[in-house]
Formats: sequence, structure tokens, C-alpha cells
Amino acid sequence: MKRKKFLALALVLTLTVSAFTGCGSKSNGSTADKSGTKEDGKVTEENITLTMMYSGVQTENDFETEVLPKLVKEKFPNITLEVTKLPDDQYYTALKTKLASGEAPDIILVQPKNAGSNSVIGLAKAGYLLDLSDMNAIKLAGDSASESFSYDGKVYGIASGATMLGTYYNKDIFAANNLEVPTNWDEFLNVCEVLKNAGIQPIVMGDKDSYVLQFGLYQLAANVVYPKNSSYDDQLGEGETKFTDEGTWDKVLEMYNTLYEKGYIIESSLGLGATQAIQKFVDGEAAMTFDGSFNVNAITAKGAIDFERGYFPLPGNAAGEDVYASVAPGAGPAIYSGTKYPDEVKAILDYWYDGESDLYKAYADSGRVVVTYGYGTDKNNPLFTSFLDLYNEGKAFYWCNQAWPAGVETEMQALFSEMIGGQGTKVTDITNGMQMKFEELYTE
Amino acid sequence: MNEFYDYLQSETEKGDRKLSRIKKKSGGNDISLVMPKRMYFFIVPAIALFLIFWIFPVLQLFYYSITNFNGINYNYDFVGLDNYIRLFKEGTLANSIKNTLVYAIIIVIGSNIIGLAMAMALDVKIKGKTFFRTATFIPALFSAIVVGFIWSYVYMPESGMIATLLNFIGLDGSKFNLLGNYKTALYGISFVDIWKNVGTTMIIYLAGLQTIDTSLLEAGRIDGCSDWQLLRKVKLPLITSTITINVILNVIAGLKAFDYSFIMTNGGPGKSTNTLMFTIYRIAFTDQMMGKASAFSVASFFVIILITIFMLIFLNKKEVDL
Repeated sequence: MKRKKFLALALVLTLTVSAFTGCGSKSNGSTADKSGTKEDGKVTEENITLTMMYSGVQTENDFETEVLPKLVKEKFPNITLEVTKLPDDQYYTALKTKLASGEAPDIILVQPKNAGSNSVIGLAKAGYLLDLSDMNAIKLAGDSASESFSYDGKVYGIASGATMLGTYYNKDIFAANNLEVPTNWDEFLNVCEVLKNAGIQPIVMGDKDSYVLQFGLYQLAANVVYPKNSSYDDQLGEGETKFTDEGTWDKVLEMYNTLYEKGYIIESSLGLGATQAIQKFVDGEAAMTFDGSFNVNAITAKGAIDFERGYFPLPGNAAGEDVYASVAPGAGPAIYSGTKYPDEVKAILDYWYDGESDLYKAYADSGRVVVTYGYGTDKNNPLFTSFLDLYNEGKAFYWCNQAWPAGVETEMQALFSEMIGGQGTKVTDITNGMQMKFEELYTE
Repeated sequence: MNEFYDYLQSETEKGDRKLSRIKKKSGGNDISLVMPKRMYFFIVPAIALFLIFWIFPVLQLFYYSITNFNGINYNYDFVGLDNYIRLFKEGTLANSIKNTLVYAIIIVIGSNIIGLAMAMALDVKIKGKTFFRTATFIPALFSAIVVGFIWSYVYMPESGMIATLLNFIGLDGSKFNLLGNYKTALYGISFVDIWKNVGTTMIIYLAGLQTIDTSLLEAGRIDGCSDWQLLRKVKLPLITSTITINVILNVIAGLKAFDYSFIMTNGGPGKSTNTLMFTIYRIAFTDQMMGKASAFSVASFFVIILITIFMLIFLNKKEVDL
């Protein structure tokens, strides 16, 4: 009898303990709107420590972990900024855990729209972010950037520069074959045909890392889907549009598949990794590759032969129509709603993104972002000029997956790989699969 | 002398009285003086840790599997068996189970045959035996990430190591695309797993072979056994327990296959190298659907239990038979 009592006691004890820990982790959501009682906009003079967590790989003289805290200290001597930088996957896990336990850092990195597990919409919906709409930095970043960081009419994050997807090409090969940068889809196909007939592999892609499929597809979608209906993705959620609609994604996938069918994209692409494909381009074994501005260093690295690189938006447009680029506002900082010092954090971010401060200059000079306003716009890599011009003219759209719940693009990649891998998958199967996945993942 | 005897007697009586008192307290049951019941209190910390960090999360898995929890937002809804139904409908579960089983079977068979063969070869007296033993074991020392990266260059189409070798001997290396092909990618990555882990299997077999009494082998030879008979009738029966261990270890490794799908193919092409663990990872961390991933884990839990039961019955029987 007694033994059972003991066991029961032990069980009760442990359950109470676990129940308490359970409560602790769940109570955080309600502390969301707790803000200081100080006057608005006034920065404290007490010595305080703020925390910030970013994702990425730490480099030498790293901007976020070394330069930023130093320059913040210079401007606000009483504020110490502690920055942690984690590799992407670890960052997501750490962020989730910290948010769940109510101990998130004051500044966190968020991605626009629905992108990733740190998407601004996902976090804002859960009440984890502070409304930044009134900040100066938001006004400077421009409407298209703010739009990508909005949820329910309020802005919750600051865009850090812009990142673009485009087509890197070997200028020497183009010149040797008397080719010009194509301005519409037919011209592009012609360029590929000429190169192929000359015995040159037109395009190399590393589809073994299937995310690179997005590089080409999104550029085409920016020309085919969004110019006709700029709120296509928002309407997906309301059910007004569907991936299966005629003349939208079926056309995009069909166009991209043409490049495989005709052998313009290297036949062994499914066995090549992303870095291996870049290496082939750099070694001059192929004339073009679809890639992002984030890989510019790898693309312009010295390979087996020397040649000049160019970069153009893949023209998915019909003759006589305008070319659109796929340019995404970059992931940027947001403020945790549970922060004890909302005004101080806002002051720091306003200073950081004012377009002219020492901090902004250091940020622009770090070379990791392509700045869209203020100091440093003249120093951007000339490869990006045509893209930024389109961006400023409003002829650019964000990357499709930024507006989709994470997972739709993986389904698209898997099904598209099946199609090019000869598994009998058809374009309609892909659009159906994407629509099903979207409906499964989308939560209002 | 008498005084001492009296003293002893009284002490014994005292002890008896005490014992009967204790007995009365404990309701007349026999109690152990070595392990009194209050000792059970000391296992509370261990039990607590075990329950909080192990049992409780496992039970939560069952709970989350009927919600649409996304890992961030605690305002989730209960969706009943929707997660399970969807997994069956999509064919994700069937595909992952199939891939995992194929993977496990390949590495169990491959690893054990190659491992046993190598162990036999290294069990004989040859020059440089230690060097060869070390060499076969070295791959097991590398981390899976490193091995995965190296092998993706070995397999690289056109300019990888195998493609270059094929070109060198006059074959068409440009057609070699193991990881890019739906039919071969799974075999490609399971071979890498065998390459990496065969050293461990070999070492265990070697240890097993060395426990065999040489007098038995000599007796066999005198009775006129051929080498094959010696292997089949003497050596193998004597190392059955080693075989069991190796098969079980390889089945475990096969069922939790994740590393090479993740590093070398990212589950692709398409979904042809999606294993159980990889799919759980993908659903949980790419699709951000902790609820569905939990449902998938519960399903895999039952699959693995079934396989384990089957294995236990089968292997126990075999061990007795041999």
C-alpha cells in the first residue's frame, strides 16, 4: 500500500512541476503590449543593455556583431547593444524558443511577407512585434518596402536594402556569337538556340539543390503573373485567384520547362549542386546561370578562364511589353513587442536607417546589402544598376515565395524536379500540387 | 561472563521489541532493513527529470498530432485526425516508409556482407594487418557532413571523380548522373552510408571472430572441413550474437537515415530520397507544421515498433536455430 502511495506522491510532484513549467512558457503572449511608462520618444539616460539576434554567418569585422554595437555606443553612450548571430536554422529554432519563453531579444531579424519561420506576418499575427509605422526609417525605405513588411495596415519591420534575382551571363561568349542582351522571351530563346548551335551550353543550373529552381521561375512570374494582377498572391488567400488559373503559373512553368526540353539548361542539372553549377559558370563552361545578387561574389570569383560578367533580368515578357525584374526587399530588423525599452530601440533603428549617419554609412559600406536610398547608392555593383532602375520605376516584384506560406515553394520544386526528371509529372499536376499545399498551409 | 551474557540477552530482546514495533507500524508486513521505504524518495529527482524531459514531451507529441500547431503561435486549433488523413492521402507516408525500408535493407545487407568479408580478410595473418584495419576504420571517424560533401563531388556529373574515371577508361562519363536520377539517387546515398559505417561493423565482426576458439577450427580441419564448411558450420554459428548486434545496429541506422538525404540530395530529386526522419524534418521546419510533423512522428513510431517486434522475434529464433 505504502509503496503505491509513495509512487503516487512522486507522480503528483513531478506533474505539478511540469504543469508549472508548462504555464511559464505559455503566459508570454499576454505580456505583448507592455511598454515603459516613460514619456514618448525620449531616450533614457540610465545605463541599459539591449539585445539583438540576427541570422547569418559571422565574418571578419562583421557589421552586425562588431561594427553596429560600437557605433551605437558612440551615439548613445549609455546603451550597450549585445548582438548574437546564428546560422539560419539555429536562428529559427532559437527565436522560436525565446519567443515562446517570453525572453526574446529586443531586436530580431524578420523576413518580408510570409517568408520563412521569421516572417513578419507570422510573427505580427502572433503579437510578437511592435508597430513601427510612425518611424522615420519606414518613410525613407519607400512604399514598396513598407508594403512587404506590413500586416493589417501596420508596418512591423524595416527593409534592409534589396536583393534581386537575375541572369548572369558571360559577356565574352555573347560578344563572340554576336549576341545582345535579350529584351523579351522570344529573343531569349533565340540567344539560347544560337549558343546551343555553336556548341556552347547556354545555361547551367544546380538543381540538385532544388531551391535554385526558384531563381528562374520567379523571374518569369514577375513578368507573367504579377504585371496583370499585382495582388495575385493576396487574392490566393481569399480564394479569388488560384495557382491553377489559366495564363498564370501554368504559363510560367511551361516556359521554364521549355528551357529543359530544348536542352538549353544543362542536362545533368539534377545531379549538380548549386556551388558546382556556379563553378561551371565561372570556369566558362556555360554562358548563363540564373542566380541572385547575394551570390555575386561567388559568381565573379576567378575561375579557370577570365571573362567579363553581365547581369540582366530574365525577360519573360512578350515582344512589345515591358520587362519586370524580381527584386525583393531584404530581411531587416523588427522590435520584439515585449521589449522594456521600445523608445530606445526605435531611436537606434531610426539612427541606423536614416540614410546619412555614420552607422548607415558603415552599413552601406559593409557591402552585404544593396542599398536603395541615401549614402552608398552610387557605390552599388554596376551589375545591379538595371535592376535598381526597374525597382525605382516600380517595374519590379518581390519573390513569389515571400508571399506564400513556407512550404509551397518546396512542393513546387519537388514536383518541377519530377517533371524535368522524366517522372511523367505534368504542368497541371504542379499547379494542382501548389494549390493544395497552399490551401493546407494557409491560415487566416 | 554471566554479566556479559545477560547484557547480550537484554540487547537482543530490545532489538526484537524494536523490530516488532516497526512491524506493527508497517501494518505487520515484513520490511527490509537494507532498503527501507523512505529510500524511494531518493529516486524522485531522477524520475522527475525523466518524466519532464522524456516522457512528458513524448506524450505531448501525441497531443500536438491532433492540432494545427505551427511551432510559434500558441493559438492553435484541434483538427482531429485531419493530419493523419492528409498524410495518407498525399502519399507522403507511404513514400517515406518505402524509401526508409529500401535504405535500411540496402545498408543492413551491404554493411554486413562487406563488413564480414573485410573482418575475415583482416583476421588472417598478413603483413601490415594493423594498417589495413586502421584504413578500413578511418571513414567511420569522419563526420557525416564531411563525408556527404566529399561524396557529392565524387558523384558530380561530368567532372566528378567517378565521371572522370569513366572518361579515363574510355566510357562516356557525361551520362553518369547518379544523384540526379530518380531511380538511382537512393542507392547512391545508401552506398555512402555503407562506405562510412562499414568500418564499425567490421570491427565488431573482427572482435567476434577472435573469440572463436582455435581448437574448434583445428578439430574441424582434422575432421576434413573445407574452408567454406568451416565458415558455414563453425564460424558463423559461433558468431551469431555478433551478427544479431550488427544487424540491429544497422537497422537502427537505416531507420533513422537523415544525414545523406539532407546533405547530398535534400530529399530530391523530387521526393525520391525522402526518408522518415527527413520528411519529419521537412514538415516541421520547412513547412512549419509542427502538428502535422507530430502526426507523422506518431505514425513512424508505430512503423518502427512493428519493425522492431518483427526483428526481435525473427532474430531470437535464428539465434536459437543456429
